[in-house]
Amino acid sequence: MTDEVVRLENISKIYPLLSGDVLALNNISLSIKTGEFVAIIGPSGSGKSTLLNQLGCLDVPTSGDLKIGGKSITQMSDSELTHLRLIMIGFIFQKFNLLPLLSAYENVEYPYTLKYRKRDTSGRVTKLLDMVGINEDLAKHKPSELSGGQQQRVAIARSLVNNPKILLCDEPTGNLDSKTGVLVMNMLKKLNSKGKTLIIVTHDPGIAAQADRTITIRDGELVADVVNNQ
Amino acid sequence: MKDIIFAMAVRNVKINILRSILAAIGITIGIISIASMGMLGTNMTASVTDSLSSMADKLSVSPYSGKGGGGGPPGMSGDSDNLTKKQFKDIEKIAGKYGYVYGVHNVRAKVKKGSDEWSTQVYGLETDAMRTILDNLTAGGYPSTDNSVLIGPTFASDNDMEVGSRFSVGGSGVKVSGIIESRGMTMDLNTDSAIVMTKDMYESLFGAKDEYNQANIVLEDINDADAVTTALESQMNRREETIRVQDSSRMVSMISSSVTTITSFASLIASISLLVAAVSIFNIMMMSVTERIREIGVLRSIGTQKKEILRMFVYEATLIGIIGATLGMILSIIMGYFFILIMVGSTKYFFTYDSLIHLPYAMVVGLIICIFSGLYPAWRGAQMDPIEALRAE
Ligand SMILES: Nc1ncnc2c1ncn2[C@@H]1O[C@H](COP(=O)(O)OP(=O)(O)OP(=O)(O)O)[C@@H](O)[C@H]1O
Ligand SMILES: [Mg+2]
Repeated sequence: MTDEVVRLENISKIYPLLSGDVLALNNISLSIKTGEFVAIIGPSGSGKSTLLNQLGCLDVPTSGDLKIGGKSITQMSDSELTHLRLIMIGFIFQKFNLLPLLSAYENVEYPYTLKYRKRDTSGRVTKLLDMVGINEDLAKHKPSELSGGQQQRVAIARSLVNNPKILLCDEPTGNLDSKTGVLVMNMLKKLNSKGKTLIIVTHDPGIAAQADRTITIRDGELVADVVNNQ
Repeated sequence: MKDIIFAMAVRNVKINILRSILAAIGITIGIISIASMGMLGTNMTASVTDSLSSMADKLSVSPYSGKGGGGGPPGMSGDSDNLTKKQFKDIEKIAGKYGYVYGVHNVRAKVKKGSDEWSTQVYGLETDAMRTILDNLTAGGYPSTDNSVLIGPTFASDNDMEVGSRFSVGGSGVKVSGIIESRGMTMDLNTDSAIVMTKDMYESLFGAKDEYNQANIVLEDINDADAVTTALESQMNRREETIRVQDSSRMVSMISSSVTTITSFASLIASISLLVAAVSIFNIMMMSVTERIREIGVLRSIGTQKKEILRMFVYEATLIGIIGATLGMILSIIMGYFFILIMVGSTKYFFTYDSLIHLPYAMVVGLIICIFSGLYPAWRGAQMDPIEALRAE
């Protein structure tokens, strides 16, 4: 039980709309262990992103209990959830989502500065950028001056800077050509092999096949949870 | 830069520099208006007080006519009520230790020159009072013969008279011995269009021996005005009201306070321009927040607190405010200087504390308004739901 990093118990998420409530997640229970590589698949609108947002503490479920690193988040304040996102979770988005005003280097440094209230003098930022293949010259550029693949690599470096337990990726290769996509996937897999819990939402069966475990969502319900053996 | 939140605010202002400066100009104009109006008020009050203070040290005592009312400066009407010799002695005794006391005869009398005939104000003063009070002559000298008089500058120019000119007053021929320098608006003697003669000559022409129409007091210290007034009234009006004291310092403070009222009103109007500036800052900040919804979503999702988002936008509004306020301060000094030169006619009081204090005051008001206008947009940005914000295009 000690290596369980995420635990969902009867999670439901309802969006109240004027036209009627939308049941985006329906009574989902599951447990994810430290170091696992989980792919979440399902048709469009099935609730994959909604589920990922709950895991990433961007939102709290309407009912049910959600534990991250053993702590229940359902009763946490916005400020506590925000802090949890800062220290426990690394986000990688389909649209990269780098901060346009900051250089690649500053983008990676940003969460570090928020957490430690100081600039990085340990060389951690440079090391991470180096690891994802962004050299010192490129690191000075603004996101708008980088290619999609370069931006996504900066985003990976950024997600790692505070040494999070969990990496959450929503279609991380969705905006990349297949060659760059493979490159990014290899990077994420390498991080997973070093012990990071990796949770990826994807439409790509090829990516899902690389995961340890595939969870299928349909109409907000968990319809399949398969361990891939190879 | 150590504070990354501040650094981002600076960069956003820089990226939208044109827009930021346009919004800042609103604040600049607001600051110029209220600073200029404030400085105008101070400078105007100072210069009015200055020109009035020469008359603020004067009291005049006239007999109580029992008719009540009686606005307007004393000595304008040829009232038949006079101070008795005893009353004048009493006044001298009571007020003498506070300043110079002198008696004034005055009447409106007929003046004839050639075939022209009109009436004018005639004063009769002791020679000593004449030399003390009317201490500046533009031409000629004080009356030395029985039939010579002084005339005011307006009287002289209106009637083409100079030293040596002859005319008749009250049926008796007189000669101009000197012309009095213009004294402008005064509370004691309005000599500019009048004739001033010696007490003896006045009494021989118009009678009223030793019974002056009023007694004037020139105080050594302005602050004694109330004490002298009280002393005179309590001692001489004990049984019944016999005299009336006119304190010109009251009039001066009344004029000063109405100048202040007018300029305060002008400042109020000027602050409307700050309201306009507030609206434009609000608008710009709302725009900045709306444009950056997605960025807010990213910031929030990777662990930025609400209060840090709030701080970022408040910094932005403050920066715009500082640009506007600095510009406003510089322009206020330059434009205010010329504005006051034109409106008041003198910048004698421009570089005084009371005048310049309006600059930092206007600057702080402008800055506070700027921050306040940015507060709601900043709060809106901070309250944004991160998921919604991330979804924005
Ligand atoms: N903020 C919201 N308000 C109302 N309904 C919402 C909201 N967010 C999501 N939904 C609804 O919840 C359901 C699940 O949406 P979600 O974004 O999780 O789907 P998804 O599986 O990620 O789809 P895709 O593969 O297209 O990204 C959808 O029916 C969607 O319309
Ligand atoms: Mg989705």
